[in-house]
Amino acid sequence: MIDDAALRAWFCEEVLPHEAMLTQFIRRNWPVSADIDDLRQEIYERMVIGVRNELPRNVKYYLYAVARNHLINRAQHERVVSFELVADMTMKEDAFDHPAPEPNLIARDELRRAQVGLDNLPPRCREVVRLRKVDGLSTAETATHLGISVDTVEKQLTLGMRALVDFMLGGAGRISRPGRSHRKIGRG
Amino acid sequence: MTAQRSLQDEAAQWVLRSEEPGWSEADQAQLDAWLAASAANKVAFWRLQHGWRAADRIGAIGAAADMPAPTMSRFSFGWRRPLPAIAASLSLLLIAAVIVASGKLPVPFSPEPDQAIELARVETAVGGRKLVGLPDGSRVELNTATAIRAGVGRARREVWLDSGEAYFDVAKDPSRPFVVHAGSRTITVLGTKFSVRRAQGRVTIIVSEGRVRVDEVRGDTVDRSATITTGNIAVAEGPTMLIADRSEDRVQEKMAWREGRLVFDGDTLGEAADEFNRYNRKQIVIADRDVAQMAIGGSFEAKNVDIFGRLLREAYGLKVTDDQEKIYISR
Repeated sequence: MIDDAALRAWFCEEVLPHEAMLTQFIRRNWPVSADIDDLRQEIYERMVIGVRNELPRNVKYYLYAVARNHLINRAQHERVVSFELVADMTMKEDAFDHPAPEPNLIARDELRRAQVGLDNLPPRCREVVRLRKVDGLSTAETATHLGISVDTVEKQLTLGMRALVDFMLGGAGRISRPGRSHRKIGRG
Repeated sequence: MTAQRSLQDEAAQWVLRSEEPGWSEADQAQLDAWLAASAANKVAFWRLQHGWRAADRIGAIGAAADMPAPTMSRFSFGWRRPLPAIAASLSLLLIAAVIVASGKLPVPFSPEPDQAIELARVETAVGGRKLVGLPDGSRVELNTATAIRAGVGRARREVWLDSGEAYFDVAKDPSRPFVVHAGSRTITVLGTKFSVRRAQGRVTIIVSEGRVRVDEVRGDTVDRSATITTGNIAVAEGPTMLIADRSEDRVQEKMAWREGRLVFDGDTLGEAADEFNRYNRKQIVIADRDVAQMAIGGSFEAKNVDIFGRLLREAYGLKVTDDQEKIYISR
């Protein structure tokens, strides 16, 4: 049985660096882009449950296997994807063959990425995140400083964090706001 | 799939709340229970906290040094006054500006102590270690060859690290900020445990819990600041500061002096010798450069340099000569 600390270390250090690749894989094999975040979360969840007893030797193949099975299951369950797509998915293994970037490269890149990611946020959100990250203000201090409610600060921070984390992990870093209607699925 | 969306928001709120001052053990127990409830909660929280900490490098100001000087004040892009779209193209400059422009802020604390607060002076000799309690309940642990001055007043708590290294366990008190001055850096505590070391013009800050803000001070203005968090090791020298993210194990190793031990893992023999030399009058001298480059690992008693010498002879096959004042190491 792997304890949570080891599981967390494995997940953060071995799995998360592949997030951009995983997202790309889902996008190519799933017709509804609004589902991507949720599918990725579900795949992570299944991965972590699956390694309870032993960590896999090859993270990329394991990630690929879980991602593929999950998409197929979901596709069959929701009857959204044609069987051609499922068959086609097996041909896309090459997407998982890109070597992971050098750890040093990632570290050097992170500062620049953090700056660009912050920059991509809308102004209000950016200011709140900046006060927290650069000036080290708490939520209450930020609220006082800007003359806005704690609730508003929390909302902006939540949006900002989700977008910034997405960007740090290789995504587009766009704000995803609740309540946006999902596109109807047309294929099947 | 709105349930997922609210899960992400919930996880984000946990990450934020866990960083707030006043986070208690009861809060932590609640978070632990929430995490234990499902793998979904865990991965959402782990991912967000990991990525959010990676973004702490926004505060790593070393890179801002070679960017153009700012011409705008700190809050020129203000709340409810979004910039026109054209400014987006200047955005990288803006970030440089907001980081560097904090120099326009008044410094809340002077780089030298004023006369109003009575200062307690504490020192340790080579090889010494001392635990000091401050009147506010904070504790400072001094490592070998260290000198501090500490003052606790009604409005603020300040420590000057004049030389050496100290570990701080700061009692939470939002009404009285806790500030450590170390040469050109001041460290403002945002509720935490951390150590600060001064050596050869370099300031090293290791955070074992919570967050601190590091300001570069010139005269009485703050030039740049950065917030560093749990697991970060910041090394500041002159105008640059590097922030490295380390595993908890690595941070614990760096704190092993508190148990009288030195822990090395992939360090060079030269670095290990420098460490031993901080604690002992009997100094290790390494004759050749390639011996100094040898990688070494293990956990040692800081003051037992003789055992370390014997290990080098027996396990590494090195020539070790001991004349009671110095230990010479060569091939």
